[in-house]
Amino acid sequence: MGQYKNKISFPVMIPILLSLAFAALPYLFSPANAAAAGERIITVAAASDLNFAFKDIAAVFEKETGIKVILSFGSTGMLAKQISGGAPFDLFFAADRKYLDDLSVKGHVIPSSVELYALGVIVLAVHKSSGTGVRDLKDLLKPGIRNIAIANPDHAPYGRAAMEALKSAGLRDKLKDKLVYGENIRQTLQFIQTGNAQAGIVALSLANVPEITYVRIDPALHNPIDQAVGIVQTSKDPEAAMSFKRYVMGPFGSQVMKKYGFIIPQ
Amino acid sequence: MNLFPLYLTVKVSITATIFTASAGLVLAWILAKKEFFGKTVLDVLIMQPLVIPPTVLGYYLLSAFGAGSPIGRFFEDVLGMQIVFTWKGAVLASLVSSLPLFVKPAKAAIEGVGNEIEDAARLLGKTEWYIIRTITLPLAWRGIAAGTVMAFARATGEFGATLMVAGNIPGRTQTLPIAIYDAVQSGDDYTANLLVGIITLFSFLVLYIAERFSKGRF
Repeated sequence: MGQYKNKISFPVMIPILLSLAFAALPYLFSPANAAAAGERIITVAAASDLNFAFKDIAAVFEKETGIKVILSFGSTGMLAKQISGGAPFDLFFAADRKYLDDLSVKGHVIPSSVELYALGVIVLAVHKSSGTGVRDLKDLLKPGIRNIAIANPDHAPYGRAAMEALKSAGLRDKLKDKLVYGENIRQTLQFIQTGNAQAGIVALSLANVPEITYVRIDPALHNPIDQAVGIVQTSKDPEAAMSFKRYVMGPFGSQVMKKYGFIIPQ
Repeated sequence: MNLFPLYLTVKVSITATIFTASAGLVLAWILAKKEFFGKTVLDVLIMQPLVIPPTVLGYYLLSAFGAGSPIGRFFEDVLGMQIVFTWKGAVLASLVSSLPLFVKPAKAAIEGVGNEIEDAARLLGKTEWYIIRTITLPLAWRGIAAGTVMAFARATGEFGATLMVAGNIPGRTQTLPIAIYDAVQSGDDYTANLLVGIITLFSFLVLYIAERFSKGRF
């Protein structure tokens, strides 16, 4: 009969407590980025290889123009899918031009705004502790290199280029079993940084970290990594988006981009 | 330190849990007590999010509720609200992924009540609604409470589907798990460690309180 003592204990208290906590919460934390009256904000979707460079550029841009920049980083493929699903981005910096051309054909990006802003460079990166003196793609065959990290070639532009380079060097089939795929180029770098992969192919723009050494890969081995930008059709402030785009491609932006290892198209 | 991701995560998981528990209770009761055509299909559909990868779930939800879809347009044009890429999208992702974790124990608990007591009440001329309120729910409440806690915990940790449906927009849709992912991706170890500490402490507290609560020590 022990069951009956539970009769009145059906926990009506749980929803009541939850609702109270819910109601009280906004008073405990004030949301960040709450727009002050008249403040201009743009939301920028940017490929993961821009992570370091864009934080520098956006900080200076905000100071100079008073326009707030919210950066949303992700893989180019995922961001493109989100834009076609109606994501509230103003500007899209892709790591691969193909995605922007596709979006502008489908009417999600203003076609006249699509422009090349940088060329990506890939490097052969080696974890310092693996100390096998890897200076060339062929050195990846050494037995000390057990895992080679590249970005997923199906949807990550740097992964595509890495795969092309391995293929041109005639190494793709020999190294097939050693390859591990990162979801994006930043994660690929992490595989090497943490030593879980002894070597890999990453973007020069991200390679400047203490754990690894790197050498450039001959650009003739792969198709160029065309990085293009476009203004999203549904942007609420295309003017502000345009000024950020110009800023990235302007003298200061180009200088920062070069510093992080991008090639700036003429 | 910007605590917005914590605020958003709590807001999203509570809202999602309220929806999960109300919809889940109805579903659990129907699955436990009713026989109908396609029952197994419904059961399997509800359990799907446990099996399919969260990013795939996110892809489904984005395709179903995005701007280009009929459902997305209905919400946008008729109800005037956008679901994807707002905090409501995060609620949707958490709701769908936590539903099976609520329905499973709740259904088992409702089935466990057994028909004898309910039939006795029916013989005494009580209505179905009266029986649910005074017999089924009170006797099944431990399972329901356990399901609620599991659903809340799952909603708090939801990552893959949320990243897809709500996006990674700082200050708007960046929940704690996504903020941690973003900090790790940026090599910002300080923020990552801090947020990891916060979410670990938070989930420990929630589960600890729930455990004590279910043993009647509160």
